[in-house]
Formats: sequence, structure tokens, C-alpha cells
Amino acid sequence: MNRILLVTRPKYDDGTEYLAYYASLIIKDADSRSIENKDFEGKDAKIENVKKFIKKKDPKLIFINGHGDTDCLLGDNHEVLFSVSSNLDLLKERIVYARACNAGLIFGKKVTENSNGCFIGYQLPFSFIMNEKWSAIPANDKTAALFIEPSNEVMHSLIKGDSAALANEKSKKAMIKNMQRIMKMEEKKEPGAMGLLMTLWNNYDGQVLHGNQNITF
Amino acid sequence: MTEEKENKEKYEPLKELVLARIDIMPPNFKLSIGDKGTFNKEELIEHVKKLDPTGIQVIKMQLNFIKALTSGKLTQALVTA
Repeated sequence: MNRILLVTRPKYDDGTEYLAYYASLIIKDADSRSIENKDFEGKDAKIENVKKFIKKKDPKLIFINGHGDTDCLLGDNHEVLFSVSSNLDLLKERIVYARACNAGLIFGKKVTENSNGCFIGYQLPFSFIMNEKWSAIPANDKTAALFIEPSNEVMHSLIKGDSAALANEKSKKAMIKNMQRIMKMEEKKEPGAMGLLMTLWNNYDGQVLHGNQNITF
Repeated sequence: MTEEKENKEKYEPLKELVLARIDIMPPNFKLSIGDKGTFNKEELIEHVKKLDPTGIQVIKMQLNFIKALTSGKLTQALVTA
């Protein structure tokens, strides 16, 4: 297995546009550390492309962005990339972070069965609140950043060489820090603070790590 | 009993509570819930009123949060970090 990062980041609705932008920051981080990476962006996030790359280059770290369900992870336009019944073996032994809904419930457990790899993901829907004013420019949306920046922490930490357990912990700490900021907004009676807190809590509560906690990139 | 009827019986009593919480959401906020989509305040209210899959998902998120508040799980997480 090689010290290579593979990223999938389809862009076909508001949610995936935001995740794709934040995933681009991880690619920049990898570039700045001279870590070889492959970016399957937008319509390139197809199983045929991803499968070919994994077989050829054997990347150790896989970062999936987009939609998902309890038993699968999706690519461009809802195409199934990996499910409990297809291409699961391609992810075995690797470090997988899936920023997608619900896959931590069944898929993440299956992918780490009889494997030395790990899976970090969500057993609840991965949700965030965006400010409509900035929805065309995710980089300027400070509201969405409260949710997505802490999830990026998983990848920044893994790329730095931290263990899966530490990456998960750092991300959760970043979520707590943002929840504390939101509590201060609530004290100042800023509108919508409780909704922000509710949404971020669900991400915090739903983020899980399965498999080998000590694995590093 | 059909799933639809079961959901109605289970979540109907919680509708008003959840609608009241959505009502205080600023109009410029939109909630993105995975592949269910992205919804503004009015759309969320409609989904919850109809108790469709998106509405039920929103109710489940609110319930999970309320449980964390009342059980002390949220406070514990905030003070021990």
C-alpha cells in the first residue's frame, strides 16, 4: 500500500458543492506536504475511475465526500461507488474517511471486518446549515464553516501522520469548540443559535470510528 | 399497520414542538440534510407538517438533541473537552 491520498468530491447539488469546496482545502494541504494525491472531482467521481486508480496505485488514504446511506457511499449523480455488496474489498486495509450520511451504521463496520484498516464516518445524517446569502460562494459562508471545518480536521490530522483515533478526537474537539462558540451566540440572543447547536450536536454524536484505531497514513 | 401510519402515530405528538423550534430559524438559513436535500425554513415546516421522510428526519434530529440536553450528555461533552 502506498502513501497516496484519493479524494472523491462530486458536485451536483448545494450539499455536495459545499463538501467539494472543503475537500479542495485538504488537497491543498496534501500538496503543501508533497503528498501524492488524486482528485476525482465532479463528474469524475465515478466508480470506474476510482476502481482503476485504487488497483493501479494502491492508495492508503481514501476521502469520500458526497451522499451515502447505511450500506453505501455515492459518487457523481448518486452513482454507487462502494456498497456492502459491491467493491467493498477495494477499501479493506485502508484508512477511509467518509463525509457522507449514515454509512457508519452498517457500511463502516463491514469495511473494517477482518481488516487492519479503519473507517471514520457518520451513523447519522451529516448535516450543516448554510447562509443563503453565501450559498454560491461556500468559502465565504462562516455559518457552514462551523460544521464543515471540524470535519476537515479528521483529514488534516491524518495527513500529518496522526493515528485514526487522534484524528477522530481532534475533529470532535473542534466540534465542541464550535458548540461553545454557538452557546455564546445563544447567550447574546443571536437568532438561530439553538438550530446551529442542534445540527452540530447531531454530527458530533453521529461521528464514529470503526476498525484499527492506531493505524496511521 | 403500514409504515406511514406507524410514523404518523409515533411522530404526530412531536410535530408542534419541532415546528416551534423551526419557527425561530432565521430566514436566510438553509439546512442541508445529506441526500434529502437543502431546505429553508418554510420548506422544513412543510415537510414536518406532512410527516414525510424529510420531516421525520428533522424530528429525529431534534429529538436526539433534546435527549442530549435533558440527559446531560451535551453539557458533559461541553465541559470535559
